[in-house]
Amino acid sequence: MELDYDFLATTFLLVLTAVPVTLKLTAVSLLFSAPFAFGIALLRRQAAGLLQRLAAAYVTFMRGTPMVLQILMIYSLLPSLLNALSQTLRLELDVFSLDPIWYAYAVFTLNTTALFSEVLRSGLGSVADGQLEAALCAGLTKPQAYIHIILPQAMTAAMPNICNLTVNLIKGTSLAFLMTVKDMTASAKVAASYGYNYIEAYMDVLAGYIIVCSIIQAIFYFAEQHVGRYRLSRGKQV
Amino acid sequence: MLKVSNVHKKYHENEILKGVDIQVDKGDVVVILGPSGSGKTTFLRCLNFLERADQGEMDFDADHLSLHAASSREVGMVRKRTAFVFQNYNLFQNKTALENVTTGLTIGREMARAEAKEIGYRMLEKVGMAERSGYYPSQLSGGQQQRVGIARAMAVEPEVIFFDEPTSALDPELVGEVLAVIKQLAEEGKTMVIVTHEMKFAAEVATHVIFMADGRVVEQGPPKTIFLCPKEERTRTFLRRILPQVEYNI
Repeated sequence: MELDYDFLATTFLLVLTAVPVTLKLTAVSLLFSAPFAFGIALLRRQAAGLLQRLAAAYVTFMRGTPMVLQILMIYSLLPSLLNALSQTLRLELDVFSLDPIWYAYAVFTLNTTALFSEVLRSGLGSVADGQLEAALCAGLTKPQAYIHIILPQAMTAAMPNICNLTVNLIKGTSLAFLMTVKDMTASAKVAASYGYNYIEAYMDVLAGYIIVCSIIQAIFYFAEQHVGRYRLSRGKQV
Repeated sequence: MLKVSNVHKKYHENEILKGVDIQVDKGDVVVILGPSGSGKTTFLRCLNFLERADQGEMDFDADHLSLHAASSREVGMVRKRTAFVFQNYNLFQNKTALENVTTGLTIGREMARAEAKEIGYRMLEKVGMAERSGYYPSQLSGGQQQRVGIARAMAVEPEVIFFDEPTSALDPELVGEVLAVIKQLAEEGKTMVIVTHEMKFAAEVATHVIFMADGRVVEQGPPKTIFLCPKEERTRTFLRRILPQVEYNI
């Protein structure tokens, strides 16, 4: 089998130009989901009640269904729902001309919220109860204690898992092509479809994801070292 | 200054505190003794609302409040006027020794950073930890961590400091350095309530000793009386078991 090296090179550049779309999908979903994930994590750490059970059910549902299905459901349901809503409210929105990237944000945010909340929940669980008690006794309010004492420690403990979450999300956004969003995967597939150079296109996409994910992992590694210097310096003299 | 009465606390059906009263005057060093499970620690934690008592009243100078139903404003008020030293130190893991001492000032009390830092250094100096001000708790020994814990407690100029078995988690050779710091505070006339198992130390620093067992105050009085001629059989048994051959020259 002969590889078309010219196509390989030009498509690789094409894939690189779509990197911002992939990163945008990832970053927006992470940012949108963070406050909800934090809320769910805090809620689920309290004694069981109706809200806690609802939150748990949401997490179970999102974790227990394939992302492809979530995408297909939302992409076929959400536009009709929005359209119906806009008609009843007489908003005269043209729902069907909405940039499909918004549907992608919706799916990935819903999905990431569930996964992120579990990451944060385990992070918060790793902080000893005595830290909050000591902060309250030092005269801090509960929100102050969370901001200055609990969260920094919880986030440090959660860093490897947040890295995992981010890298998985980056790879997961490759499914955005199902919603006609032109991310890295979609751009390569479109380019390949003209001359059936699928092998080359997939190799390009593969390389693209490895590069992006490696850089993200490196960033997280250094970030973890930085925020975790209080524990990584164990044994060393300052 | 601080008067607490009729403190009750139940966990499930297990009654830990069955009506405890204490009174602390300015400059007092009240030492609470008793076998484990007698409710000493729970009692101390109720005073700072780390545990909610089921019943109980507190008079803190002119303020009167319920230990069971205090509002969050009242809880905040009590916590700002007191300080707590924990058995397992509970230093903020993500803060240096100096930051541990200043956090209650800068964040809890909105003091200017420079001023807080100055106080922080002075407090660390006092407990002999000034050279380690930039160290994180994970780089300090247990005794050093507890000394920072005491500096943190003192920094906020509390009216009372509560100590919950401050040396129980320490290796025997590190106990002395922490007790020396507390003793120094006692000499300075700081008001303290101390739960401890260190009898010799208790006899030396206490102005008032309370012996607790089974969720009640069994006996209380000046250390001389409690250690040398306790009235209650329960106190005698406890002291005999815990100090078989220590001599006291008070």
